[in-house]
Amino acid sequence: MPAATMAVMPVIEARELTKVFRRPDKSEGLRGSLRHLVTRRYTTTSAVDHVSLSIEPGEAVAYVGPNGAGKSTTVKLLSGILVPTSGEVVVGGIVPHRDRIANARQVGVLFGQRTQLWWDLPVRESLALLRDMYGIGPADYRAQLARFDEVLELGELLPVTARKLSLGQRMRADLAAALLHRPGIVYLDEPTIGLDIAVKDRVRDFLRRLVADGTTLILTTHDLGDIEDVCRRIAIIDGGRIIYDGGLDGVKDTFARERCMHVRLTTDVDPQSVAALLPDAEVTPGGSPGEFTIRFDRFVLTAGQVIATASSLAEIDDLLIDEPAIEDVVRKVYSGELELEPAEDGVGAGVGA
Amino acid sequence: MTTTRPIATARMYRRCLGAHLRAALEYEADFWILVVASIMMQATGVIFLGAVFARIPTLAGWTLAEVVLIYSLVVIAEGVGSLCFEGTWYLPWMVNQGDLDYTLVRPYPVVLQTMSGAVGLNGVGNLLTGGLLMAWSLSRVDVDWSPLRIALAVALFLSAVLIKLSVTLASTSACFWVFGASFMLPTALHQVGELAKYPVSVYSAGIRVALTVVIPFAFVSFYPAAAVLGHGQDSWVGLLTPLVAGYCVVVAGAVFRRGLRRYESSGN
Ligand SMILES: Nc1ncnc2c1ncn2[C@@H]1O[C@H](COP(=O)(O)OP(=O)(O)O)[C@@H](O)[C@H]1O
Ligand SMILES: [Mg+2]
Repeated sequence: MPAATMAVMPVIEARELTKVFRRPDKSEGLRGSLRHLVTRRYTTTSAVDHVSLSIEPGEAVAYVGPNGAGKSTTVKLLSGILVPTSGEVVVGGIVPHRDRIANARQVGVLFGQRTQLWWDLPVRESLALLRDMYGIGPADYRAQLARFDEVLELGELLPVTARKLSLGQRMRADLAAALLHRPGIVYLDEPTIGLDIAVKDRVRDFLRRLVADGTTLILTTHDLGDIEDVCRRIAIIDGGRIIYDGGLDGVKDTFARERCMHVRLTTDVDPQSVAALLPDAEVTPGGSPGEFTIRFDRFVLTAGQVIATASSLAEIDDLLIDEPAIEDVVRKVYSGELELEPAEDGVGAGVGA
Repeated sequence: MTTTRPIATARMYRRCLGAHLRAALEYEADFWILVVASIMMQATGVIFLGAVFARIPTLAGWTLAEVVLIYSLVVIAEGVGSLCFEGTWYLPWMVNQGDLDYTLVRPYPVVLQTMSGAVGLNGVGNLLTGGLLMAWSLSRVDVDWSPLRIALAVALFLSAVLIKLSVTLASTSACFWVFGASFMLPTALHQVGELAKYPVSVYSAGIRVALTVVIPFAFVSFYPAAAVLGHGQDSWVGLLTPLVAGYCVVVAGAVFRRGLRRYESSGN
């Protein structure tokens, strides 16, 4: 085997992974139900549509996309909860939905929207049940509880019945439940949803340590702080398809096309005349005479062109270009505003990396 | 597959059940209500039997004591089902809600996590009633209790319980294929199972065949009782009970596994 391909074997490998859900296509009311009995029509949704991912051991990947994009479904496919409609998935050398028990031993899964704690039992009992299922020894178990107590203040939650926990407390206990058996691969689907800042910080801190310890992590989140804090790679999914997969920085190059330049000229210039010279940009007057904010698409205009135009009207006194923020990009992804076609020179930065 | 595997699996099952039992016992008032209610429910059937036998000496060749043995087997099987495998009944609900997700990522069979997922305390009432009825019946029937016959009785009665459990599991597993109405199917089937509280020889040929081959409820009570009591021709059929049990367990397990592949979780 040539040396180049021997580098690192991916620990999670999905090829053309697809999940199609079929829902009975019923019209309202009794008549609709009766008609369905006879005709059996269905609507189908490709929740995950030919998704390919290759993740190396120890990587932390943020998995991002608007509501209904297919994030949770992907996690369920990778963890073997769902059987794919087509495509392949191999995790740690195992096909998760075929060999669920072996897969269970190597992965930890958390869905922020639902708990795995036994509702009527104290947290301590739930954890003890999991301990026995995974066959965790007493010493290891104690060490794990101590570790979770240190970072998640688990101790105070142990005697509480799951049903009585607040959302933040529940999430801390659920994290402990998902990670009790020291899985090398961890899928967290919205682990910070609905948490207040203090708990969020604690969870993030915990995730950072997890990644530092070499855990492979896929993190689905709506929270930009989570992403920048924990992950260096980001995969963006929309309508079941991966539209970006690569470095966090590459996202900006690929999707943050809009630039914003604040200009102060030495003399007062009519904003109209600036706008007339830059028809492709959006010019708004600033706080005082001679100040403008110019927004432009960096694939239509270059910063140099904008500066040249401005300085043709008067001497430039001061100039500031806003750094495009990853936040803006991700916010747009979530609000569904993102333009799906990345600009040509941005493609190489990430997609298919 | 070492020999310790089944033991560890059974022990884990007991752990799950024990945890739920403790949770269920927290509502102490509920406990007594459930027990008393289930005793009352089973008692009504016995009162009815008593009334029937006050007028006729035998029912299709079966004495009261013999019929009570049949009756008690169904009551006990239901009791074991409620107390130890109540979670089976919640399967349609779990599938509908997407509640199997976490069970699929734990290193313990999903079917056992599901079955151990609840404890029905009414089972205590059933076991009390069923136990008393069986004791009363066995003290009255004319059987020569050799060690072999005792062993046979134990084997047949355990098989009978397995058959009842398997039918329940297979019927609740229908929820993987049909939605909504699937909640009704296991309950309806359970009602059909009540027919097996009486000698199936009282029914018409069609029903008898249905209860023997289609859904073998007759093997939960009638045939094993016939075998233990040495009751004519049917006693030979009763010896097949363990085979029928094996078949039912395999089929129910296969239906469940097939269904699990269709499991779709739920969108939020
Ligand atoms: N169990 C399911 N049955 C039917 N449709 C589903 C199911 N789960 C998800 N979907 C649909 O698939 C799409 C993707 O859902 P999901 O993976 O939950 O998105 P996300 O987690 O990104 O919000 C949505 O249109 C959703 O309605
Ligand atoms: Mg989701």
